[in-house]
Formats: sequence, structure tokens, C-alpha cells
Amino acid sequence: MDDHELLALIQEGSRDAFATLARRHTERFYRLAYRYVQQKESAEDIVQEAFLKLWEDPVKWNPERNSKFTTWFYRIVVNLCLDWQKKKRPVELDETVPVADPREPPDEMLMRAQEQKILEEEIAALPERQRTALNLCFDEGLTNQEAAEVMGLKLKALQSLVMRAKTTLKERMKAYL
Amino acid sequence: MSDIRDDKLERLLESRQIEPAGPDLAERIVLRAQAIPQKPTMPLLPWLKNLFAELHLPRPAVVLASALILGFVAGYSAPLVVPADTGDGVSVQTFLYADEDIL
Repeated sequence: MDDHELLALIQEGSRDAFATLARRHTERFYRLAYRYVQQKESAEDIVQEAFLKLWEDPVKWNPERNSKFTTWFYRIVVNLCLDWQKKKRPVELDETVPVADPREPPDEMLMRAQEQKILEEEIAALPERQRTALNLCFDEGLTNQEAAEVMGLKLKALQSLVMRAKTTLKERMKAYL
Repeated sequence: MSDIRDDKLERLLESRQIEPAGPDLAERIVLRAQAIPQKPTMPLLPWLKNLFAELHLPRPAVVLASALILGFVAGYSAPLVVPADTGDGVSVQTFLYADEDIL
């Protein structure tokens, strides 16, 4: 059963359809939320909130207005992430998160961990739209065209945002590149 | 030099680490949803939708708006007819005086 059929059933109150949809997509929306908030618990809370909103008020999904469920739901998750960041800023990176491959030599591991930490800090400091463009474009399973649709932009505009974000990151991370 | 930096940045962006979600996240969401009732949908909207679908109107919102505008235009353009005072009706003033007399 595809997403649209499941959503039609959810609108009729089917809990089974909701469970199928949640199991199918939780992971991918968690990944996106994590890229924003860099904390497991917060990312999980955001995804849970997004799905519960959908369950509570499923008529918000309008198949005539939205081409694809995932595109529409990415937008909801992005908005929740941005709300979260406005309330909780600045983002504190979890020091205990294993940010590098443990099979690497310790020096290299430490350096990569440091690079990752700086990268996340610099991404968090980017303007909101550039950050969203970057997070969506580097999310596996989402094409640039879909990322543009999530942001309500033309493909060229999205590419320009990504380009600007990369230029800023390159400049700010000179020492690490 | 710039190309090398571009490649490195690209590699870094592609290898951003993500702490995996709890294995039971989806189940927790499903469980939480079971305790939450769905909001009742507004019955008027589906009813209107069905009505327009029955009548095969292609753009219900446009049709509804057009009908409203036509109604207003017709209402404003119709001459305002004020009933003439025929003289045999009881005016408010007379009624009040009559009321006073009785009291």
C-alpha cells in the first residue's frame, strides 16, 4: 500500500495505517532532525511530535495540494527543527557522541572528530535557508528537485543557496580543508 | 588547491555522523498515538466537498466566490423599495401615547 492510500485510511481513523506509515518513514525523518539538532533525544522528540500532529489532525494532509507525502512531511519536520532551534539556541554538541570511525588510528580519529565538530558548529551558524538547503541536499534519498520542493523554491534557487553555504563553510573551515 | 578544498568539504558533508535513533522509536510513536484521539473533522467541509463533487463543479472555491459576488451585485443593483405610509397603520408614537394613557 502506498503512502497516499495509507493517509486516506488514517483520515478515516485507521491506527494500523498510521503504524505502517510511521514504521516506514521514522528513520529518514529522524536523520534529518538529527542533522539540525545534533542530539538524539531531541531529534526523536521532534519526529514523534511531527507524527503525532499528523495522527491528531490528518486532514492537514491534502493530496490535491501536495504531490508527495514525504516532501510535505519533510517541511513539517524542518519547521519543527527550526522552532526547536529558536527556543534552544545555541546548539550544544554532545561530546560523548562517537563522531569518527573507531577503527582509525587515534590521532586521525581525534582529528576527524574535531573536523566533524567544527563542521557542525559552522553549519549551525549558517543562515536558516542555507542550513536547510544543505541539510536537505545531503540527506540520502532526497533529490535536489525534491529538496527544492520541500523549501518551495526553484531548483536553481536551491542550488544557489547550497553554493553560498559551501563557500561560507570553505572560508570558515580553511584550517581544516 | 581550491578543487582539493572543495572535494574535502564535499567528503566531510557526505560523512556527517548521525547517532542512530533508538530501535523502538517507531513503536514508541505508534504507542503514543494510541493514547491520543483524532480531532473531529469539521463536518461542513466534507459535506460541501461532496455536494460540489455531486454537482460536478470543477472549482468549488471559484464557484462559491462567484455566487457570492453575483449575490452582492444583484442585491446592490435592485432598487430599494420603501413601503409608503398608508395612514391606517398604528405609528410607534401613537402606540406609546396610548400606552401612557392606560397607565
